[in-house]
Amino acid sequence: MAVIDLAFAIKHLPDVLKGVPATLAITIIAMICGLFSGLLISFIRIFKLPVLNQGAVLFISFIRGTPLIVQLYMFYYGLPVLFDYLNGRFGLQFNADNIHPLYIAFIAYTINTSAYQAEIMRGAIQSVDRGQMEAALSIGMTVPQALRRIIMPQAFRTALPDLGNTFIHLIKATSLAFAVKVMEILAISRTIANDGYRFLEMYLVAALLYWLLSWIFEIVFTKLEQKVSRYEKAQQSPVKRFYSVRQLKT
Amino acid sequence: MLLFDYSDKFIYTFVIVEKGGDHRLIELKNIRKSFDGKEILKGIDLKVDKGDVLVIVGPSGSGKTTLLRCINFLEKPDAGTVSNDGFTVDSKKASRKDILTLRRKTAMVFQHYNLFKNKTVLENVMEGLVIAKKIKKGEARKISLELLKKVGLEEKTDAYPAQLSGGQQQRVGIARALALNPSVILFDEPTSALDPEMVGEVLAIIKEIAQEGITMIIVTHEIDFARDVASSVVFMDGGTVIEKGTPDEVFNHPQHERTKKFLRRLIHEPEYTI
Repeated sequence: MAVIDLAFAIKHLPDVLKGVPATLAITIIAMICGLFSGLLISFIRIFKLPVLNQGAVLFISFIRGTPLIVQLYMFYYGLPVLFDYLNGRFGLQFNADNIHPLYIAFIAYTINTSAYQAEIMRGAIQSVDRGQMEAALSIGMTVPQALRRIIMPQAFRTALPDLGNTFIHLIKATSLAFAVKVMEILAISRTIANDGYRFLEMYLVAALLYWLLSWIFEIVFTKLEQKVSRYEKAQQSPVKRFYSVRQLKT
Repeated sequence: MLLFDYSDKFIYTFVIVEKGGDHRLIELKNIRKSFDGKEILKGIDLKVDKGDVLVIVGPSGSGKTTLLRCINFLEKPDAGTVSNDGFTVDSKKASRKDILTLRRKTAMVFQHYNLFKNKTVLENVMEGLVIAKKIKKGEARKISLELLKKVGLEEKTDAYPAQLSGGQQQRVGIARALALNPSVILFDEPTSALDPEMVGEVLAIIKEIAQEGITMIIVTHEIDFARDVASSVVFMDGGTVIEKGTPDEVFNHPQHERTKKFLRRLIHEPEYTI
């Protein structure tokens, strides 16, 4: 028997592929929902809405200061307790067992990533030159109009590389979803590995799949960046300019 | 009062006012503004007539830019009233709607141009027409193209601001302000950020539109230009108006010691031709 049983890995690859939809579903749904709630939180922080702002600071600090897997466990074990309490108090008929693990993952990952995306968007919005807002107001736009048409497009352009990183990070973070019993790439690989005592093979398969997914989305985000940065084309990056000047001199 | 609307000559309204008629356009009363406990404007009163080109000069920190920004509430005055074209706002009771109404009577040209970076030159000029004035896109486009031609940038309509020189960007800024057909255009040191060789092209355009009878308030350090275009000049120092008069009065026969001192430091031979 070979040190690495490639045949075993290849044979079980189709099974592991069945975990890809769950991985992608969690990533994409959490990314999109997290972006919207993150935006909401970033506006709360930027406009310093009383009470909500302090809540947002606390929320972000907690989410960023605790491991994702702990948050997942808290959610998984906390939900039935919460439902019991609500049922007892209001006479409802919620049953945590009826909730598909995937939905728990959607919510938990959305909450987690919204904290990170809130900080990304806050930084991006605040990095837009304040002259842009002043100019928009000076031509008679309202603040919401200025935000929608001038500030946010520029903020998204700035945030895109960070949002791309967050997305790739999310893909890999879905591997923790086994904690809430979601059968995604890693959970399936692990089950097969346990059955066949072929751990390295299955982890290699999992690694390759995560890498492939990340790589695809890296390309997607690079294309997206090129598309939205069309208005910066005239501006050479300072690093690039410096580099080419050096090349000319030598 | 007689009003002649030459609408065939594009969007401008030329106003001919009989002597003694009520032609007051802008009136500021007792404008006060402090930043961090430091009083920048100490109760300014100012009147501007229709068609006037008022130039505000003064040393750095004299509050002239702040005063200009109070007229469109980019800075909200701590006290005082701002009237523009018959609409009066008391800064202490200004609602969001009041401020918007007041702002829509003005347009501003900024020191650092502040063109919308994510919009093309044409979109920059159209933006206020389409979004704030709710003019149909086709018509807004026509008006904008006309104005870009006027400032000599008809070839650059599809460029983004980052692709233009400072002088070109400022000319777009002027076209953007003109497009709104405001009752007054506020210029906040429009040439201070420009390379010397570009100052002339921008001043020439400001002078051109000044001669068309558009009311303007200009904060500038270009004394020779001020002498040339101003119908009246205000000298500010330390948050108050020290002296007001015709360019000849203020620049050639200043009454106050502070004005004289300021001018001695500033007046020199022109480096450009208009």
